[in-house]
Amino acid sequence: MTILFYIAAAVAVLATLLVVTRRNLVHALLYLVVSLFAVAVVFYTLGAPFVAALEVIVYAGAIMMLFVFAVMLLNLQAASPPRVPWTAWVGPAVLVGVLLAEVIYALTIETQPLAGAEVGATAVSEALYGPYVLAVELASMLLLAALVAATHVAARAREDQTAASVERGRAVLHGQGTASEPGVIVEEGDA
Amino acid sequence: MAWYWQLLIVLGVLIAALTIAAGLIWYERRLLSLVQDRYGPNRVGPAGLLQVLADTVKIIFKEDWVPPFADRRVFVVAPSLVLITALLSFMVVPVAEGWVVIDLDIGLLFILAMSSLAVYSVVLAGWSSRSKYSLVGGLRAAAQMVSYEVFMGLSLIGVVALAGSFDLGDIVEAQEGLWYVVPQFVGFVVFLVAGLAETRRIPFDLTEAESELVAGYHTEYSGMKFGLFLVGEYVAITLFSALIATLFFGGWLGPWLPGVVWFLIKTFIFITLFILIRGTFPRPRYDQLMALGWKAMLPLSLLNLLITGAIVVARAG
Amino acid sequence: MASVSLEHALILAAILFAIGFAGLLTRRNLIVVLACIEIMLNAAGLAFVAAGARWGQADGQVMFLFVLAMAGAEVAVGLAIAIRFRQSLKGLDVDDADRMRG
Repeated sequence: MTILFYIAAAVAVLATLLVVTRRNLVHALLYLVVSLFAVAVVFYTLGAPFVAALEVIVYAGAIMMLFVFAVMLLNLQAASPPRVPWTAWVGPAVLVGVLLAEVIYALTIETQPLAGAEVGATAVSEALYGPYVLAVELASMLLLAALVAATHVAARAREDQTAASVERGRAVLHGQGTASEPGVIVEEGDA
Repeated sequence: MAWYWQLLIVLGVLIAALTIAAGLIWYERRLLSLVQDRYGPNRVGPAGLLQVLADTVKIIFKEDWVPPFADRRVFVVAPSLVLITALLSFMVVPVAEGWVVIDLDIGLLFILAMSSLAVYSVVLAGWSSRSKYSLVGGLRAAAQMVSYEVFMGLSLIGVVALAGSFDLGDIVEAQEGLWYVVPQFVGFVVFLVAGLAETRRIPFDLTEAESELVAGYHTEYSGMKFGLFLVGEYVAITLFSALIATLFFGGWLGPWLPGVVWFLIKTFIFITLFILIRGTFPRPRYDQLMALGWKAMLPLSLLNLLITGAIVVARAG
Repeated sequence: MASVSLEHALILAAILFAIGFAGLLTRRNLIVVLACIEIMLNAAGLAFVAAGARWGQADGQVMFLFVLAMAGAEVAVGLAIAIRFRQSLKGLDVDDADRMRG
């Protein structure tokens, strides 16, 4: 189990590094899925099989799918801004590195073993619907609010687009514009 | 358990799953022909049984072509995912008492996790092909499969609540007195529909609707890569039939005959049901599909969950 | 079962968080920025689960479930904003959204 933890940890770190450095959006998101798998294995080795399963079902299966869906649907790949020069990485990397070094130093002062017991789905559910039931209700309210907000924002985008295309259509009809849309997405090849 | 026994089970499940999936191709074609009042493949071998072999040889020797405009790495990986996830799910399905590759406490969650990953195969195949038909097929698949996964999970929670375990072996043993299809009939219906949608079978095959999308997400695939999608689909059908038999119809339980035989009989009944559904139902429009999901399946499964929960709590006192 | 020490799990969480943070500061693509926030949330969840595993309690996993719900809400709104962003600014560069600059 110990060796499994370190292998999964190495995979998670490597895959996460690739997520932040890849330019191809879909590839970056796929590396993030790999990283989430690795973290799910880490959860399993930590004795938390329930959240390991949920990490794959909800995070990798639903949330990342939403990302991929949005990228595919809107052809966001073609809209990506130009690559940042590597010099842009220096400042943040140094600052974050210093913070990370501090945290690791603070964490290596003493070593505490894990309890070693597996905490299964039953225990988690009992805690979730026992002492934390109010938080569950709040989480459901949060999700509802997010649902409404997302629908509102995205629906307004569609209305604007419809209005814009109607305007363009009128302009073409009155001979003031051309039929080609300025917003047409040009396919771009990538790596 | 001795290691050779373990190995035997692993190989047995793997080979059986692949053989049944291959045999299904013949079975489906013959049965569909019967439904449509024609013969179907009957030339190669007795009753056309060797047709599968001929098709396999043919598909392996086809030119394996990757479109020059495709995203090569993703294009190659995508077809294998669908087969891998379906085969991995078989790990936790108990064939008979104690005959299971790995006795996982979170068995049912594992299956849900695998089926949520199967979406990537279709979506990535659609995206990496860089063709508009593939892309539309992939987008449809993403929305359809993610939506129906929700109802699939919810419909199974009733079973889990009654059995008190995510372990499929425990769920079968809890059905000793009464099969769960009786108390969980709504759950069974929702699971069946969700299973159809997850395997992208007619009537839910809008992802590859040939009348509008050529072949949907696998338009650009040829040779064995296309073959992997095909085999993956049949393995998935076998998996869902086995799951229905396990979760709602008492798995290996049954009188006189040994457990494996009962399990296989029940699985085959549902495979036949899947094929007959393909022969009978028309394909709905895409918005009708989503409306069915969110307006009928979701309220039904939630109501089922509520009532089941209330009964379980009331019984516990 | 688990003979990993708590510190190693926390260090892993710290490394993942740091990578996500560096990416968040550097990258200009809105989708990658959202993905970096996901990495950081996930790392925080990992720290919760590790802390729960230290004492053999379920609370850490419960907290992870709330992180999960929050991540879902954040992604839904974030991607809706990305759609708006793409349509009004014709790109995904977060530096383009500086109309509010004083």
